[in-house]
Amino acid sequence: MTEPGTESEIERARRVADERALVDSARRGSAAAFEALYRNHVGHVYGLCLRMTANPATAEDCTQEAFIQAWRSLPAFEGRAAFGTWLHRIAVNAVLAQGRRRREQVGADVPADETAAALPDPSASNDGAVLDLEAAIARLPAGARQVLVLVGVYGHSHEEAAALLGIAVGTCKSQLHRARQLLDARLQAREMAS
Amino acid sequence: MTTDDRREPPVSLDAALERLPRSIEPGRDLWPAIEAQLEPRSVRPVRRWLWPAAAAVLLVVASSLITASLLRREPAPVARQAPAAPELRYATASFGPDQRLGPAYDAARQELAQSLAQRIDRLPPPARRQLERNLAELRRASAEINAALALKPGDPLLEELLLNAYQDELAVLASVQQLTAGNGSGTTIDATRMQL
Repeated sequence: MTEPGTESEIERARRVADERALVDSARRGSAAAFEALYRNHVGHVYGLCLRMTANPATAEDCTQEAFIQAWRSLPAFEGRAAFGTWLHRIAVNAVLAQGRRRREQVGADVPADETAAALPDPSASNDGAVLDLEAAIARLPAGARQVLVLVGVYGHSHEEAAALLGIAVGTCKSQLHRARQLLDARLQAREMAS
Repeated sequence: MTTDDRREPPVSLDAALERLPRSIEPGRDLWPAIEAQLEPRSVRPVRRWLWPAAAAVLLVVASSLITASLLRREPAPVARQAPAAPELRYATASFGPDQRLGPAYDAARQELAQSLAQRIDRLPPPARRQLERNLAELRRASAEINAALALKPGDPLLEELLLNAYQDELAVLASVQQLTAGNGSGTTIDATRMQL
């Protein structure tokens, strides 16, 4: 009889092996294998892009761009990190590149309040607190929001988040502090209003 | 992730952030749009510098064929009047994992190479020099292609080039054996031994 813990480890090992096989096939040019990788990871990539951009249409563009870039870069993927970790970095870069293009086009960052209005129900959850939190995150200024998403939601260290975003570690910390203050104030205001 | 500034806000906010789902499915399937933009896997960077190796293989094969043809036209020495060596039969070879050739190939190659060492003195000096140059060039090309395969494992173009280079080397070795064979003592390369 297999213990539940052992079984989950076996399943995890199998999943890792399966993913390696898919990555190898995709590296050799298999679009079918790459589609399987897309199906496995699109939720994570889109979730990251949606939270970082606070705009569903932009998040879709970034998600597409991330997977296209991953396909192009796969031959250089050495497998030192997990495929998902590597893809996560590509997705962050896609969001930042998209942000730069957008600023070049409109001359300034789009106000968060405008983009937040476009944010749909981001999860299937009916938990009102979760939805409030998602909406409050979406309304944060872009810099503070991106740091909060990477550090607070996706668990990066300040050093990792700063490297991903191309900012100083000190800036990352101050942005996170600002994001928390804003979030806290908005959630409290919402509580009082309700 | 744990840093000093995470202690500052209420713990409940951190907990709430950590409870958020990492994964959110997009509202529509993005794969068709992604698939439409996937270029076929490019091997251009390797191809560019491998063309010399491929060209070298072709040149050497052509050169070997000319040499063999010229040798056949020369007045036949006594040794060449002996019964012809058994016909060589090649099978289409395939690569095993990690682009390593199998022991059957190595054995056949070693046998022919030893035979070459014994028979090469029978060739006229110009043909002998040409043969040695050709074999060196083929082996250099094989080494280059092998190095490229180490960088791009499983690349179909490289595998094909390497296979061609190895088969050409075997063909050159075998042609020398046939040309210099006496008393039917030549080695037969059986198709089954070429399964790589």
